[in-house]
Amino acid sequence: MACNQFTGCCSLSPQKFPRAPPRASRPSRPPRPCTRAFPDTCGRCTDGAARVPPGWAPAQPAAWAAGAQSRGDFRVRGHRLRLRDGLSGEHAAAHPLSQAPALWRLLFRVLSLLRADRASASRAPEAQARWVKAALRAQGYPRLGLARLPEDGSQGSRELLLALAWLLAREPLPERLLAQTRVRLGDEMPVCECGALASPGQPAPRVDTAGPVDVRRLQWLMGKLRFRWRNLMASQQEQCALLGKIHAYTRGCHGDRSLGHLSVAETELLRDPEGGRQLLQRLESENARLEAALEWRRRELVFWQWMDTVLGACPPEASQPTFPPRLRGRGRRAGAWGPVAWELQALQEELQAAVGARRAAWAARVGGQGPEWSAARQAAQEAVGRELAALRQAWARGGGRAQPHRPHRLVRTEAGGPGGPGLRAAEVIGVLRSREACLEEMLCQLQEQCRQQLARLAGALPGLIWIPPPRR
Amino acid sequence: MSIVTVQLGQCGNQIGFEVFDALFSDSHCPQGLCSKRENEAYQASCKERFFSEEEHGVPIARAVLVDMEPKVINQTLSKAAQSGRWKYGQHSCFCQKQGSGNNWAYGYSVHGPRHEESIMNLIQKEVEKCDSLSGFFIIMSMAGGTGSGLGAFITRNLQDQYSNSLKMNHIIWPYGTGEVIVQNYNSILTLSHLYRSSDALLVHENDALHKICAKLMNIKQISFRDINQVLAHQLGSVFQPTYSEEGSSHYRRNPLGDLLENLVPHPEFKMLGVRNIPQMSEHSLAYSTFTWAGLLKHLRQMLISNAKMEEGIDWQVRPPLSGAPTLGKMSANKNLHFNTSLANLVILRGKEVHSADLGGFKDPALYTSWLEPDNAFNMWKTQRAFNKYEKSAALVSNSQFLVKPLDMIVGKAWNMFASKAYIHQYTKFGIEEEDFLDSFTLLEQVVASYRNL
Repeated sequence: MACNQFTGCCSLSPQKFPRAPPRASRPSRPPRPCTRAFPDTCGRCTDGAARVPPGWAPAQPAAWAAGAQSRGDFRVRGHRLRLRDGLSGEHAAAHPLSQAPALWRLLFRVLSLLRADRASASRAPEAQARWVKAALRAQGYPRLGLARLPEDGSQGSRELLLALAWLLAREPLPERLLAQTRVRLGDEMPVCECGALASPGQPAPRVDTAGPVDVRRLQWLMGKLRFRWRNLMASQQEQCALLGKIHAYTRGCHGDRSLGHLSVAETELLRDPEGGRQLLQRLESENARLEAALEWRRRELVFWQWMDTVLGACPPEASQPTFPPRLRGRGRRAGAWGPVAWELQALQEELQAAVGARRAAWAARVGGQGPEWSAARQAAQEAVGRELAALRQAWARGGGRAQPHRPHRLVRTEAGGPGGPGLRAAEVIGVLRSREACLEEMLCQLQEQCRQQLARLAGALPGLIWIPPPRR
Repeated sequence: MSIVTVQLGQCGNQIGFEVFDALFSDSHCPQGLCSKRENEAYQASCKERFFSEEEHGVPIARAVLVDMEPKVINQTLSKAAQSGRWKYGQHSCFCQKQGSGNNWAYGYSVHGPRHEESIMNLIQKEVEKCDSLSGFFIIMSMAGGTGSGLGAFITRNLQDQYSNSLKMNHIIWPYGTGEVIVQNYNSILTLSHLYRSSDALLVHENDALHKICAKLMNIKQISFRDINQVLAHQLGSVFQPTYSEEGSSHYRRNPLGDLLENLVPHPEFKMLGVRNIPQMSEHSLAYSTFTWAGLLKHLRQMLISNAKMEEGIDWQVRPPLSGAPTLGKMSANKNLHFNTSLANLVILRGKEVHSADLGGFKDPALYTSWLEPDNAFNMWKTQRAFNKYEKSAALVSNSQFLVKPLDMIVGKAWNMFASKAYIHQYTKFGIEEEDFLDSFTLLEQVVASYRNL
């Protein structure tokens, strides 16, 4: 078949593809050499002239990732994937301009944005590539081909493209990045702690103690921590009091009646015109990114069809990733759940098989141990059972509701007046209180265990008098 | 962030007045030795912490006054109002018509619960006036009767009701040759109860203040007013604003929090002492000049030799000469007169404060073996002079300086207790022998912990 559209190297029939509108005045061109921007992707192109499907501007995915950084550090423009119009590039074998470095950089930026990890910004390309590999592995990326790629960026753009597609397929990536970098005008209140728990940050450097550590030093440090926590509480209360004042004083000033009063950022805007200019700039850049994301959504079907062909062109691997069907936010049809349910079931069977295999292996290993081992095992099983039961109870008590995760804007309404949409502070407080009660219970249990253990230890030494510390 | 002061009893109220007066006078002192803008920031910071503003009129001290008889409170209120520069809130005081009989147990078990609600309401109102509450500063005497018992009760209530807020109790250590026969019982009961519910105990000894008045200030007829003014000067030099960080020009927002975090994080070591240098009469001040090197050298020796003032320092006392401090030093090896510190805070105020060299305080030999000077030593400073002293340095120290006096009081109280003298006065109102025994145990533990530094 003729390679005048993007069908040359794949098995798609021309009809599946959106055709470019015929341009009347264009002369017919002689067949050109392969213009695939990823020449190493093109495994079977013989007569070349494969062009990227019209309307596909792969620069789009870079734009929203780039724009998110445009506030500060990086200008991706220079590295935009120039696939539009087709390059007059050479054939695969002699193609000097591999797009691999650009793709490494793109993956690096996307992944570091996802992990909100700004510290790793300025790394050498090899270090970036290593980091990308580790990050993808941590996320469960299944293809081994990527792990085997050289880090100098000399080849591998197909694998990198597949990795990018995998990231795009797992979750609505542009929307998530946009949400992360949204310009916020209100006083934002976090309502869940997922963010804090999910990213524990850098592990503290381990300090090796040369000798025994004096327990008084530990008590000292623990006390310092407690005081800092109390000072933090006091600062937070101050913040709340001042927020309340601002909200009360600016009642009736906001254009949006449902909000009714200004936030701190908005009040600052009124006081400081320079701040207003900067805000305008940020809003404009956010608009540009929103438009880029919309463009992406309009065209992405093309991308997926293309990726299917790229995947098809790959030599088969031990575990092939399956791009799960993308479920859009709107227009979710009833039948779309079917494949997802099927996938989940398959996953469950796989897990059960894996668990069964592991259990068998472990049982074989410890089968030969003595009776005290089985007693200990029994005790451990009971403990696990108790913990599970406690967790279930806590879940049931906590309502088991799906918690909202994104931060909410804090709005003060008149007592007894009609509230606006969104969460009520009273609800959030209720949920937090029940969680607090759970944690307190756990704390009491653990403290009791500690006390019992200490008493056992003290009882084991004759002649030792046990004086508990003064209760705080 | 604001501090709410609770003035308890005759002692507490008289001292409280002097403290607020000293703070106010200093913040409005024209000889600040700094720029006008700096002075205004200093004033604003001091005011936010200790005074609240009203629409018209003078600033109002953030304080609650409590006493069982009206005489001292009325005197205090009128003295403040007369000055015309600041005053106490009209409804911030609580007093009763009758006296108390100088009975700790009566104060703790009868007055306390009876008037708990009114007093806590007053405190609550004062707290609500604050945009942000840093903590409570409770001024009381240790060996008095009702004031001390009531103070212990109120501190425990504050612990229950405001468990996250910081609490510092300022206690007056009685004269060694005190008049009240049961003052030792009162002292140990007060100390043990406060140790459980307060975060820090800042101690001023009457004997020390008396000597300062006699020797340094050259006062012939020493009245309580003189003593209280010296005390207020020392407290002011601790709590007036200081820069928040090295090289910063913003004033520290939460000095109480920072002080407690740096000095008393360990639950067994809560006793703090204050030293201030120089201290002299205003008359002599005009003729004196100081250098930071000289001041700091004296201050360091005051710390090491447990001197209360800059006269009569024992220069023979030296830090132990052992090379690297080893864990588990035996106390027999140490110089018994040497005052080992747990943590120190030095506050410098005045001219050229950035040129002051504090190396002497960072010597590891000064500190206990399990804390190094990085953790144990802190410094605050500001260029703005305090109370007309061109240069002044204050030291807040968590060290062994109170071990001997405490041991003495516990010993005397135990001797009385062993013969059950006067116990009926306490058991009559609900303080049982068990409570005494608990107090002895706790204080012996404190003495032992400090001795083992």
